[in-house]
Amino acid sequence: MNYIWNFQDVFNNWWALAIGAAGTLRLFVVCLVLGMGLGLIIALGRRSRNRPIRWLSTAFVEFFRNTPVLVQILWFYYALPIIVPIEIGPFLAAILGISLNSAAYSAEIYRGGIQSIEPGQWEAAKAIGMNGLQTLRRVILPQAIRRIIPALTNRGVEIFKMTTLASVVAYVELLQQGKLIASLSFNPLEVYTVIAAIFLIILYPIVRLTYALERHLARSD
Amino acid sequence: MYEWDFSPVLAEGGFLLVGFRNTLILTATALSGGLVVGLLLAFARLSHRRWLTVPAGIVIEVFRTTPPLVQLFWFYFGLPIVLSIEMTPFLAASLTFMIQSGAFFAEIFRAGIVSIEKGQWEAAKAIGMTYNQCMRRVILPQAVKRMFPSMMERSIELMKTTTLVATVSYADLLFQANELAQKTFRPLEVFTIVALIYFVSISFISFLASRMERRFAKSGEFTP
Repeated sequence: MNYIWNFQDVFNNWWALAIGAAGTLRLFVVCLVLGMGLGLIIALGRRSRNRPIRWLSTAFVEFFRNTPVLVQILWFYYALPIIVPIEIGPFLAAILGISLNSAAYSAEIYRGGIQSIEPGQWEAAKAIGMNGLQTLRRVILPQAIRRIIPALTNRGVEIFKMTTLASVVAYVELLQQGKLIASLSFNPLEVYTVIAAIFLIILYPIVRLTYALERHLARSD
Repeated sequence: MYEWDFSPVLAEGGFLLVGFRNTLILTATALSGGLVVGLLLAFARLSHRRWLTVPAGIVIEVFRTTPPLVQLFWFYFGLPIVLSIEMTPFLAASLTFMIQSGAFFAEIFRAGIVSIEKGQWEAAKAIGMTYNQCMRRVILPQAVKRMFPSMMERSIELMKTTTLVATVSYADLLFQANELAQKTFRPLEVFTIVALIYFVSISFISFLASRMERRFAKSGEFTP
């Protein structure tokens, strides 16, 4: 138990971690936008009157929620290039895996939000002559999104944590850079402690904010 | 056009089966440990002693806000250095996922316990029960029923998270798949089959869970 911690080598390699952080951030932003956007489309697809669209959206959600995201990333990385004639690098594989997975989860959040709006709102909008899309955009979504902001923020935090899985296909992000530093300076304990701390420092304020938002919404509803 | 050929993969089906068994063993170990850790953390956080609430809160927040893969690497590569012990992939993974899922379970337990009306505590106290008796006989049996859906969801999350252990070479289903893909040069078929195995088993568990939820719902008071 008398191990002496030495963070010197980690801080000497701060630029490597900075490059990793940039990679993490890039992947996070892309997956956040794609995941949340696609999630809304799929949630609407599940409400569609067209049976094949409804069925496909449900199958998509079930499939991506009931398989591990790491399996999805590896599938896109090793398996997909065999059937489609395109080059799939680590970045693209990670984007596909994480975005589609998050889309399935956020679709369920949107669906819950839309369902929570009273049917009277739809009827009232119809009565003053709005069509379905107008009602959705002007009446339903603004209220639904307000209610699901805490759940969506939670999803965002999950996406941020998920980006570390991209290191498995050697995409350059924080954990991947950490592995590199640890193998060069033989200090895995310090490196992984610092990386965990970085995630904690970034995500903890967001998590606290979500708690506060939840309480605020619970009071105002 | 690529021609799918599952026969080399199916010929090695036993190889994947070993992986699936290891996945189940790890999930069961982490789940049973995680439930105990979660219950202890929840009690600690709900207690009135600051020296219990503060550390429990820190463990819960740290393990909920850091990525599980970083935790796994910390336990596998880092912890043996501090403790100067040998670490096996299975031990590192069990520890990580026990504490990680425990942190999430703790919040579920806490929410469930807090959701029980104050009157129940007062009634139990009035007929002479101690805190522990009331918790065990009155509060927990009701709380567990309410927490059941989120607990099942977390357990399924845990089963999916166990795939991370493939990165530290524990022979779980995903690790075996990777090996088999390299051996047979059929990554498409291997990873497709493995995805299907996860899909079928996890869908089956969710199906069982929703049936049990309905049974609970029928047998009295229930908050969805």
